[in-house]
Amino acid sequence: MRKMLVVSMREYVASVKTKAFIATIVLMPIIMGAGGVIQYVTRNKVDTNDKRVAILDHTGVIYDAVTRAADERNTEHIFDGEGDERRQVRPRFIITRAEVSSEDPSKTELALSDQVRSGDLFAYVVVGPNVVEPDEAAEGDTKSVTVRYHSNNPLYETFRRWIARPINDQVHQIRFASAGLDPEVVDKATKWTGVEQLGLVSLDEAGHITEAQKTNEAANMLVPISMMMLLFMSIMVGAAPLMQSVLEEKMQRIAEVLLASIPPFQLMMGKLIGMVGVSLTIATVYLVGGFIAVTAAGYGQFFPTHLVWWFVLYQALAVLMFGSLFAAVGAAVTDLKESQAMMTPVMVVAMSPMFVWLPVLKEPTSTFSTMLSFIPPMTPMLMLVRQAVPPGIPVWQPILGAALVLLSTIACVFAAGRVFRVGILMQGKGAKVGEMLRWVVKG
Amino acid sequence: MNVVEIENVTKTFGRHVAVDDLSLAVPQGSIYGFIGPNGSGKTTTLRMIMRIYHPDSSGGHIHVLGEESFQAANDRIGYLPEERGLYKKMKVREVLRFYAELKGRRDFHQAVADWLERFELTEWSDKKIDTLSKGMAQKVQFISAVIAQPELVILDEPFSGLDPVNTDALREAVLDLRRSGSTVIFSTHDMGVAEKMCDFIFMIYKGRKVLDGTLESIQAQYGQDTLRVAVDGNGFDPQGIDGVERVNDFGRFQELRVAPGVDTQSILTALMKHGRVTHFEQTQPSLHDIFVRIADPDSEENGDA
Repeated sequence: MRKMLVVSMREYVASVKTKAFIATIVLMPIIMGAGGVIQYVTRNKVDTNDKRVAILDHTGVIYDAVTRAADERNTEHIFDGEGDERRQVRPRFIITRAEVSSEDPSKTELALSDQVRSGDLFAYVVVGPNVVEPDEAAEGDTKSVTVRYHSNNPLYETFRRWIARPINDQVHQIRFASAGLDPEVVDKATKWTGVEQLGLVSLDEAGHITEAQKTNEAANMLVPISMMMLLFMSIMVGAAPLMQSVLEEKMQRIAEVLLASIPPFQLMMGKLIGMVGVSLTIATVYLVGGFIAVTAAGYGQFFPTHLVWWFVLYQALAVLMFGSLFAAVGAAVTDLKESQAMMTPVMVVAMSPMFVWLPVLKEPTSTFSTMLSFIPPMTPMLMLVRQAVPPGIPVWQPILGAALVLLSTIACVFAAGRVFRVGILMQGKGAKVGEMLRWVVKG
Repeated sequence: MNVVEIENVTKTFGRHVAVDDLSLAVPQGSIYGFIGPNGSGKTTTLRMIMRIYHPDSSGGHIHVLGEESFQAANDRIGYLPEERGLYKKMKVREVLRFYAELKGRRDFHQAVADWLERFELTEWSDKKIDTLSKGMAQKVQFISAVIAQPELVILDEPFSGLDPVNTDALREAVLDLRRSGSTVIFSTHDMGVAEKMCDFIFMIYKGRKVLDGTLESIQAQYGQDTLRVAVDGNGFDPQGIDGVERVNDFGRFQELRVAPGVDTQSILTALMKHGRVTHFEQTQPSLHDIFVRIADPDSEENGDA
């Protein structure tokens, strides 16, 4: 036991003292922070050049309404800030009237399309003649009852979304008027009602029923995502270097001396424990840093204090589980090049939660999410996500999940120990997967 | 009492028999030298003593320090493998502390300081391993093998690659270990070192024991069949002299192996015809010569041992 601690201390110090580790611990938040800053700075860096759009209005009653709405928007809604800081952050929409230029409607549209291509126009809109009174259209004549938006820029949806509203408002008004309804009455009758998102009410300690909290969508998303990312990162920082560390001992011929002093299984366990320490160090730095940052920003209530112990448990188990596999790979191969191929399957398994976390985050209590979170290699990250999304999950689930992870960890460490014992002294050629399995079975 | 007892042990790798029905006893407090050509089974034997390899399960036994254990790790044994390395990024003192602690030793600070002093490494104690020269690194490795004062020290080619000053320092250290009660087993290709240092010499060839005993007893098997001679005069070639079986030409002197029953006087007479004889000595064959006779019986030149 003492020897194991000696090995783990060495492993810990050797990892923590490297420049790479210090770089990770310092640079990672800087990079993440820089990403946030860049997004914040560029958030308003949209093209504010005028967008000229021609409207070919076959009804003759839409164009004016759209122009009025565009004027209102151009004077009121495209600016950000107040007073001196007020500046334009969105483009103006300049509406022009397109005329029918030919007997053949398709030629008119060709002319408009050419104007878009040449850059004179950004897009053009064709309002079908029967848009207001669709019942009067001939059977199957869809063109005459639709509004079509033609552009050379299919990913720019802002204008299309915007124009739908003034057109529909105008069409509705005309229809109400022709039905003899008072516009004021209609306005009152069709007043829009919003839907507010709230959490659940509950009993407090004094037995009073508490008000439901306004849920904060950003917090509901950010907490699980950042917990999971932090877990993933600290697992990788802890587990993956074991491969290299074991390989170094093998390639530098250190292993034989070590084995004269400590049994191979204890050697591997010592290294694993050292790396759990490395991983916990990273996580502690970030959790404490995160707590301070979140509290300073006034969002302290969103910090998932109740999940910290689960986080630590999952992390320690995951580092042991994946770390033992990486150690086995390191012992089984003889050089770095060989190790890459062997690492890939372990890496894919370790990363598997990253491929499925989004549906789990959106519906943490669905059968799909629940089942996935009980697959041991995925449990640490996915169970943590499910726990982090309010209101959480029944407590037996993380306990059962952790128990399953613990069993898999023991199995992995046991199997890896056998591969490690044989592989660590093998020189010359690396082991094949079949050979490794035979070592595991035969012992 | 014997520290190591090997009885009828065989070790095969696949079809290759690395060690064949070997028996060997290493008495406590002795220095036991293992010699033999490359690939003859020295390292395999040492690794079996270390329990890094297990002998074939065909009835042989290995007792080390009285135990027949199945685990390599043993705090009473210090081991310097042939293929050796140190953590490159660790400092000299840290490496030694690590190995001392790994051997379960707690009061190692004075011992570390003494050993560093002895090998003139004190000023390097806070330098990283990868800044050391090869010779210095080898001394650090030797210290790491003996820092815990083991009862049995196993050194696989401890002298290879060392300059004469370092060789002397290491030899002194090995002799001191013996003086303080440790038993030392080492393998070497340097016959001079083996002759001068070892109480017992063991030679293995193609997996089989071919020599085992004190230098004197080994040499006695061969008798006084060697003449060491030096003759002035260019182009001297004793090859054709009647009664000379074999010549080892060392340049400034030659060793002649005398055929059985030949009078050395007649050889001296023949030599005198070639030039002035400045040296003429009848002697036992050197360990080097014995080695070559066993390992390379067909060669008329120096073996490459």
